[in-house]
Amino acid sequence: MRTSVFAREVDAWSAPGGPFDPALLTAHDEAETFPAEACAALDRWGLPDYYVPSRFGGRLARLDEVHALLRTVASRDLTVAVAHGKTFLGAASVWTAGDGETAASLARHIMAGQAVAWGLTEPGGGSDLLAGELTAARDGTGWRLTGRKWPVNNATRGRFVCVLARTDPGGGPRGFSVFLVDKRATAPGTVRHLPKMPTHGIRSADISGVEFLDARIPADALVGRVGEGLELVLKSLQLTRVACVALSLGAGDHALRIARRFLSERRLHGRPFSELPHARTVAGRSVARLLLAEAVSRTAARAVHEVPQELSAVSAITKALVPTLVQGQLRLVGELLGARGFLTGVEGYGGFAKVERDHQIVGIFDGSTWVNRSALASSLPALRPGRRQATRVGPPVHEWLREEHEPAPLDPHRLGVMARDNTVLGSLGDLVARLATDAPRGADRLAARLLEAQSELDGHIAALRPTAGPPPTATMRLAERYEWCHAGAAALALWVANPRHHDRDWWRDGLWLRGCLTLVLEGLGASPPGAADVFDELGSLLLGDAGDRVSLFGMPAEVSA
Amino acid sequence: MAHPGSDPITLEELENWLIARVGEYVPDLEEAVDPHQELGEYGLDSVAVVAFTADVEDWLGVQVEPTAVWDHPTIAQLAKFLLEGRDQAGTA
Repeated sequence: MRTSVFAREVDAWSAPGGPFDPALLTAHDEAETFPAEACAALDRWGLPDYYVPSRFGGRLARLDEVHALLRTVASRDLTVAVAHGKTFLGAASVWTAGDGETAASLARHIMAGQAVAWGLTEPGGGSDLLAGELTAARDGTGWRLTGRKWPVNNATRGRFVCVLARTDPGGGPRGFSVFLVDKRATAPGTVRHLPKMPTHGIRSADISGVEFLDARIPADALVGRVGEGLELVLKSLQLTRVACVALSLGAGDHALRIARRFLSERRLHGRPFSELPHARTVAGRSVARLLLAEAVSRTAARAVHEVPQELSAVSAITKALVPTLVQGQLRLVGELLGARGFLTGVEGYGGFAKVERDHQIVGIFDGSTWVNRSALASSLPALRPGRRQATRVGPPVHEWLREEHEPAPLDPHRLGVMARDNTVLGSLGDLVARLATDAPRGADRLAARLLEAQSELDGHIAALRPTAGPPPTATMRLAERYEWCHAGAAALALWVANPRHHDRDWWRDGLWLRGCLTLVLEGLGASPPGAADVFDELGSLLLGDAGDRVSLFGMPAEVSA
Repeated sequence: MAHPGSDPITLEELENWLIARVGEYVPDLEEAVDPHQELGEYGLDSVAVVAFTADVEDWLGVQVEPTAVWDHPTIAQLAKFLLEGRDQAGTA
């Protein structure tokens, strides 16, 4: 099976009368009805197989593949990607726990098209996992569940729901456990659905809730061990946070498709809009944001395989930064389109308002930007410079980011709750030195400034100690700077790792790298020289052939069969 | 803040060091740190408590699973666990 084949399928389904016909999906959006036709097409194609690890009979062997597939779906319709991809999130705890029987059984159900929801949040509970009040009490060999999970994606449509439940009345980090509930196997009247919520975006998704009324579930519903719930959820979130930024990339693709068409069609005072320098710069800046988002996401998708013990930090950075980058990208495209972007009826441009509305959810679910940034901020003391470098093993980052590199097998047992190192950012000095031997057009000066910013940041982090309660504002700012530095290091590592691409489209003269490093330095509060020029170049390229696919590597030709 | 790794360390020394750390992390604390109180009750939530193990690792010179603090949630329990682990693992 090939990802490029999948992309063509999705294109074909988008024709009038097809399951992805924008008119149909817009009608679902307006009526707040589920995009069942599109989800059924994805089921028939076999997308659910990519939510199941290969060791349980599925096709999930590489995170970058499921990433490419979800990005493709999201680039057509973000709501469909949210509605369908949710099963990956719902099932992740089961794969992380790795129980043979439960996993094998869930694998079969998923590949047969059953949806799995993930119930973490509770009414009034916010994002604090340990505030959960849904309780599981022992009952003979099984358990009884009481309480609510809300709001939950696919809570009503999903046959299965994976919940985090309190198993010790006192709570605490060992007071929770994960249960996989098959709603069909519960007694009538013990599971009640809470109505779908009207939402600002993803209006046709099933955002609802579920309530358990002393619902009896069997012993084998327990996922992992009693008291292991928080650990399992924290580890699973690392995988799902990396996966779900693919939705942001797809939204970015969708918006650039619209922007490109607009720039080539529109004329102002008799001149093509694309001849206006301001329009090109705005378009180029929007391209750079998407490419930087891709660089961070791609690095994270490989990190899942290569440095899983660091993923608690890498996934938090990725989930905080990528949706933020893309949200900013959408704002720029909105600025370009002007009034067009908000007229829902205008042929071809109506999709913009929807993608912009839909995308706001990506920054919220699976932990908001704030939640991820504060998780990173709290764990910065463990990432103090110089703590762990001597123990680095495995290939260097510029090796495992080579496009042809075969990623190490997925191994959830190597995930941890606290990263002790960040190989990507820790390699920055080495990467800058490698770049210097063959630096395209001033990229070395940008990289040198990034290195300065990083060593200043290191000085601040060296002095950090754990603190009680939410991280202080100053530490949150450091976390944000840390994210930018990480993003810059990821971009540089991808550049150094892939010399074979240096003469292609976005890579020529280090264009994408210069654009991304410029954005990073701006994020760090510096104003690098030549910013307007590099964005102008990127904007011009968007209108050429390369603009058809704004991506560092294009569509991966093949995914594992 | 490194502890001389090869020196023997007593349970009392380790407890006192951990008590001093909690005092440092929670500067507004008005009462004395109780080694039998769960760390969560000092506002050190599950993540902050995990970052705590970075200091422990640096000082003791042994690798400590971050979840050790979840499994041994008071200073007294943690000190006992760390000392046993250190005896088994030797010093780094």
